[in-house]
Amino acid sequence: MDTLKGLARAKELYLDRRKRVKELKAQGKKVLGYVCLFAPPEIMAAAGILPYRLRGDLKEPITKAHDFVEPFGCPYIRNLFDQDLKGNYDFLDGLIMSHSCDMVQRLYGIWTLNTRPSFKYFVNVPHTLTPWSKEFFKRELIFFREKIENFSGNKISNDQLQKTIKEYNTSRALLRKLYSLRKENPPLLSGTEGLQVLVAGMGLPVEEFNNLLQEVIEEVMSRGQGPPKKTARLMLYGSVCDDLSLIQLIEEGDACVVIDDTCIGTRSFRHDLPETPDPMDGLVTAYFDSFLCPRTDRGPGSARFRYIADLAKEYKADGLIMYIYSYCDPHKFDAPDVSMSLRKEGLPSLILDDDYSLTNLASIRTRIQAFIELLS
Amino acid sequence: MSHINSEMSRAVKSTETVRNIKKYIPSFYDRGQRRQLPETQLVWNMLGTGAEILRAFDLVGEWPENYGTLCAAQKVAMGFCQEAEAEGYSNELCSYVRNTLGYLRRCRDSGEVPPEAPLDGMGNPNLLLGSALICEPRYKWFQAIGTHFLNVPQFNDDPVSPPYDADLEDPRLAEHYKTQIRATLLAQISFLEQQTGKKLDMGRFSEIMKNSQEAMKYWYRVLELRKAVPCPMGSEDYFTAIIPFLYLAGDREAVDFYQDLYTEIKDRVDRGIGVIPEEKYRFGWLGIPPWFNMGLFNYLQTLGAVVCVESTYYVGQPVEVDLPDPLENLVERTWKTAQYKQKQGSEINPDICNPGVFSPGVGAGLVKRWVFEYKLDGAIGHRTRSCRATSMGQLHVKNKLAEIDVPMLIFESDMVDPRAWADAQVKMRFQGFLETIDARRSKKFS
Ligand code: SF4
Ligand code: SF4
Repeated sequence: MDTLKGLARAKELYLDRRKRVKELKAQGKKVLGYVCLFAPPEIMAAAGILPYRLRGDLKEPITKAHDFVEPFGCPYIRNLFDQDLKGNYDFLDGLIMSHSCDMVQRLYGIWTLNTRPSFKYFVNVPHTLTPWSKEFFKRELIFFREKIENFSGNKISNDQLQKTIKEYNTSRALLRKLYSLRKENPPLLSGTEGLQVLVAGMGLPVEEFNNLLQEVIEEVMSRGQGPPKKTARLMLYGSVCDDLSLIQLIEEGDACVVIDDTCIGTRSFRHDLPETPDPMDGLVTAYFDSFLCPRTDRGPGSARFRYIADLAKEYKADGLIMYIYSYCDPHKFDAPDVSMSLRKEGLPSLILDDDYSLTNLASIRTRIQAFIELLS
Repeated sequence: MSHINSEMSRAVKSTETVRNIKKYIPSFYDRGQRRQLPETQLVWNMLGTGAEILRAFDLVGEWPENYGTLCAAQKVAMGFCQEAEAEGYSNELCSYVRNTLGYLRRCRDSGEVPPEAPLDGMGNPNLLLGSALICEPRYKWFQAIGTHFLNVPQFNDDPVSPPYDADLEDPRLAEHYKTQIRATLLAQISFLEQQTGKKLDMGRFSEIMKNSQEAMKYWYRVLELRKAVPCPMGSEDYFTAIIPFLYLAGDREAVDFYQDLYTEIKDRVDRGIGVIPEEKYRFGWLGIPPWFNMGLFNYLQTLGAVVCVESTYYVGQPVEVDLPDPLENLVERTWKTAQYKQKQGSEINPDICNPGVFSPGVGAGLVKRWVFEYKLDGAIGHRTRSCRATSMGQLHVKNKLAEIDVPMLIFESDMVDPRAWADAQVKMRFQGFLETIDARRSKKFS
């Protein structure tokens, strides 16, 4: 175990999450890589497995994936696939994917046929929020649970699952507490630091992550010098943002990121996972009903974006940066509606389209600067 | 090169039946007038939701996807796509969708149907019947319409497709998926019952389903006859001949059309007549065609190449099911079709639990089989930039074909947006591809 603590430890893990995973593997822990929360990590963890959320490598150009998958699909998921092709996930005992969005679904076959993981599974997810689709998803989770039991050799009792869910809910509560420190002006925690913590958590056993969160909260609350006060307070919106570059770029200028609505950000911990008598019901509610990913059909109208304006107001954000990947249909379809609904609330927004490489950094910097000026 | 080869031309059809399609299905082409009739309810409908259902409820349909192809063919799609982009929709998004959104924006802003809109526009729908099947743009489309333009009731069905490695013979899994197909179908029917105030007449629905099955049988036979050398029908006819089954399945007109097409093609095969006098190359086609330039297939023919089979809208062998309850029949048929398609190697194609007979692509395994059955020299993939659903996986098929030493050319443009078209470049690539095939042939025989 490392001796670093709190934010320093989070930073160390952000820079190399694999090191800790390899240590745990050496101790006999099985590790499954997963792409998205529609394959709930709680189920894997309850069987004693370490769920390891795959992370992209924004600085690593895609070289191998071009041979297997067309260039105009989601650059993020292609980046993950590319890394697997390059052997960067060799330490994993298997791969779990889900019908998060079509891109992930379509890649499942191509990915697993060309990398041949020793264990693979696909969790299917319907698109409409109807009672029968919820039932379908519940059955999917039951199958997933069985599959994980077989893989791990451990039966997952309801008691164990409920215990694990509690641990994960502790994470959620701690993350909300940590985030609330960003409501201050200046925020007590920078966006950069916040993202490092989130990414660190993507590859740690939940208990270890909870300890880290405790340490970080104590450190942030007690430290004298936090981030400096800036002109603009921003909210970040988008799918997966697991690289610091963009937030650093924003925070190097006269703005700070105080809140987000992203896959690994508040979308995953804004609410607790309901602790229901049948734990599978709580999982369905958390990951199907309440998980506000644009891949789910929530009907027309802009009321479905109300929560974004609410979050922005709660954190006193002056504007929203939408960081959207090229060819991401779910987010790109919603983008005009999100802008429209925020405009009604007096919140300006800026859409940044990126191919998960930030190679056009100079132009992004200029656009962000212009946006900040507009806000001030 | 002749005038046929000029940029953006319409296709010259080869068969009598397809040339006369308007006579067979007047109800499709005069839908603009039909929706003016009193008491008529117009539904904007998605492919895959089942034309049989519309028929059973006497609804007049309009299909935004089909309207996209029409606008593309009439060279007005680009303007509509640009309108949608001005509304904030990215030019990466499905051009069928952009076409509809741009058209609606024009209607909203000017208060009237744009004068260039084909068939006097798409009418004012009473209902939107969408689908979460095949791709995300399909339900995001109606969500966007509902948010920005039209406040009418909408329903999206949600048949979920199993992944390629699911064990579809497992009875528990079969029930799991069938439950979903059944539930979403029943919900669609109950939505339509509520909106139209009519009950679904099961007797009539059975008849409609019988017609639909019969039409599909003839259509499948036509596709099988295209295995003949020389090939009796090419893509320029195929992509029009799909209209009855996509939009009028269940109508008697569709049966008549396919029956006559079958007779004509059978006669051609019996007499050894091909699409072109000298057939030098035979290809399979993957992806949606460039609707603004269907003359492309005629251009290929000037080079001696015929496209004999297409992955898009391919129906496969109709599955026979005979259950007394027509809805259960449909559920069972859908499931059996899914099982059949999975066996063909549908590693990327998710669209296999589809109660409407529609597929945006087929499995790599089936394309491999086609090479032998249709005696193909190779495959051509149209990578449509704005449709990931039918383009993604073409490279996978290319890799699979390479395993059996069959070449595939993938070229890029779009199904509706002509801005993506680079005529000289595409033609050069085709010519180069044919030269490669020539070179391979001479190597084989040397
Ligand atoms: S960024 Fe968009 S396309 Fe990519 S995985 Fe996420 S939701 Fe899917
Ligand atoms: S399958 Fe392709 S063309 Fe059809 S709606 Fe989806 S994205 Fe558009």
